Amino acid sequence: MNPVRELGGAALLGARAAVAVRRVPGRVFLRELWTQLDQIAVRSAGLVITGMAFFGAVLISIANAQARRFTGNLVVLGPAYFELLVREFGPVTSSLLVAARYGASSAAEISSMSVTEQLDAIRMCAGDPASDVVAPRVLAGAIAVPALCLLGTTAAALSAALTALLAFHVDGWAFLDPRFIDAPDLLSSGAKVLLSGLYIPLVAAVRALPARGGSAAVGRATTQAVVAACLGCLVIDVLVGLAFRVLGL
Amino acid sequence: MHLAAKDLTVRLQGRPALDGVSLDLPPGTQALVLGPSGAGKTVLLKALAGLVMEARPAVRWDGGPVEEGRQAAFGMVFQSDALFDSATVRENVEYPLLRRGAAPGEAAARAGEALAEVGLQGAEGKLPEALSGGMRKRAGLARALVARPEVLLLDDPLAGLDPLTAHGVAELVMRAAEGRTLLVAAPEPPPHLRLSRWIWLGRGRVLHDGAPAPAPVVEGGDLA
Amino acid sequence: MIGALGRRALLGLRWMGAGAVLSGRVIARLPRMRGREVVRSAARLGADSAPLVLLAAVVTGMLMVLQTQLYVERYGARAFLGWAASFAVLWEFGPLLLGMMLAARAGAQNAAELAALSASGHLEGLEGVALDPIALLVAPRMTALLAASAVLSALFFLVAIGFEMAAAVVSLRLPPQVFLGSLRESLGLRDLLAGVIKSTAFGSAVAVISSLSGLRARGGARAVGEATARSVQRAAAAIFGLDFLLTQVLTPLLGGPR
Repeated sequence: MNPVRELGGAALLGARAAVAVRRVPGRVFLRELWTQLDQIAVRSAGLVITGMAFFGAVLISIANAQARRFTGNLVVLGPAYFELLVREFGPVTSSLLVAARYGASSAAEISSMSVTEQLDAIRMCAGDPASDVVAPRVLAGAIAVPALCLLGTTAAALSAALTALLAFHVDGWAFLDPRFIDAPDLLSSGAKVLLSGLYIPLVAAVRALPARGGSAAVGRATTQAVVAACLGCLVIDVLVGLAFRVLGL
Repeated sequence: MHLAAKDLTVRLQGRPALDGVSLDLPPGTQALVLGPSGAGKTVLLKALAGLVMEARPAVRWDGGPVEEGRQAAFGMVFQSDALFDSATVRENVEYPLLRRGAAPGEAAARAGEALAEVGLQGAEGKLPEALSGGMRKRAGLARALVARPEVLLLDDPLAGLDPLTAHGVAELVMRAAEGRTLLVAAPEPPPHLRLSRWIWLGRGRVLHDGAPAPAPVVEGGDLA
Repeated sequence: MIGALGRRALLGLRWMGAGAVLSGRVIARLPRMRGREVVRSAARLGADSAPLVLLAAVVTGMLMVLQTQLYVERYGARAFLGWAASFAVLWEFGPLLLGMMLAARAGAQNAAELAALSASGHLEGLEGVALDPIALLVAPRMTALLAASAVLSALFFLVAIGFEMAAAVVSLRLPPQVFLGSLRESLGLRDLLAGVIKSTAFGSAVAVISSLSGLRARGGARAVGEATARSVQRAAAAIFGLDFLLTQVLTPLLGGPR
């Protein structure tokens, strides 16, 4: 489980896919891209929205306990918590959910294609798995993951505001107050979700493409892919956060 | 047009799956590749098709290596059918054409022809999982033929088929093979396919290459 | 849309029902299980997951400091950082991330193994010779996962808090004594208990869901892949839902003012 090798493998595959994709006729590529967008966005939206809604509600409980310790006043934490949600918790938790969903299903599909010789068939039909299978997924990830994270963060924020209002009887709007949110917050979140969107399908493909054998190989590849995708989201979060801190933002 | 392998060696997980195989396959060759499982039949077919990177230097097609761009002359039907399971039969057969830049109309027309040739006219809109074993083989054959290849490689095409279905598929194969180089891999000589050249493989080596003959016996008894 | 939601809800209920039945059968088996085998499975599971859990804990520790320092600085509560970040780890982020990692690693592997056995007819074969696959295969795995998640949670908390302290020293120049001081003062056994309870609950959810997904697999390699993927996403949904429920239940019990 060498993180540098993971990253290297993913980057290499990404480069190969980017180069190979030019040889794919537009129609063929777009059709697969559309299928993948449906897979990732439509099918993961439910999980992301419900998961993040639960998460937002729990966050308020945590905030409440912390507020009682610091200031005794929960409402005061509102804008700060909203900023934290937008900048930190929202992106990383949403991408974790997508990593679990899309990382797993991508790896399962690709590895079972590999094991049933479909990838070889693609090559014999003048195709290239890097451009026909991987590239559409990576592009779909780059488009859909940021959208899903936006959806998830919104769900969490609304849920937090509602919980603050109904359960703790404080002004819910305080938890939707954007006064602390500035450009670096948005840039940092944007970078995190974009990188995660690129990384999740790439690392799933890196694990799934070489699958050989039978069902055991498929199970193994899927397991490894999910782990790598989830860890990757966490690491991306830390690295981008560190980078922004180092730059003083 | 001339396909040849010279001293082809492929290692898989430490073992030599193919060990110094040399074959000369002039255009129009129609051969059976025989041997028990593990003898190297599938690897040989894939190596000839350019799917095994390690094997590329040893295989020559028309004087050059079998790589992307030149693979167009090859059509392969895989042991596991390898139909794209989330695409319909028609989409499967159109794919080689669309991928090479053909217009959708032309691809649809040619795919229709190919499917009619193999007797699958009514099954165009079905998904592979809805097809029977025999129908899947036919679909795989249609996909391999649609780009009009010069070399046809079939990996155990009659496996798991009942005698009647196998007979039908074998007839199709013989028709499709006219004027082409044909290689069919099978564990034993199929009764429905009469080909003039038999190549027996054992432990990755060529044990016999010529007229039809029974399985050669190797010391140690086991061929694979 | 309502129809789709309704269908989803019904499916969820059916799953919960199946989960309850499976858990019931496993619990019924408990007295007759071989303890040594369970311990061995748990140790293997724990050892397999440990590197991942450790890595996740390190990342969580750093993340917590990165995240909370923003608003701790804003409110001048540096002295409270040790407590605030550790509290969040024990009550929320620790169990949540641990649960996700368990779902991704142990859960997926469990589902994949059971799916391979189910898809190839092994389970039916066992039933054919009057052996109960639940007793032989599923119950030991589930118990092992439960035991492993309790132990791994303790490991996770230790490492995460340790790395929080390190990150606070490096990035905020907060002396370790201040960090530990606020920790000792306000963090109690009740918080640790809350974290372990949540983690174990998530671990059992992963165990039940991954086993169910695996057992239901029918088909070939593709079915195994689908079962594995499904187990991960269902476990994720269950974890987030359980998180909410448990927080509501545990806060009045364990989170009262000191």
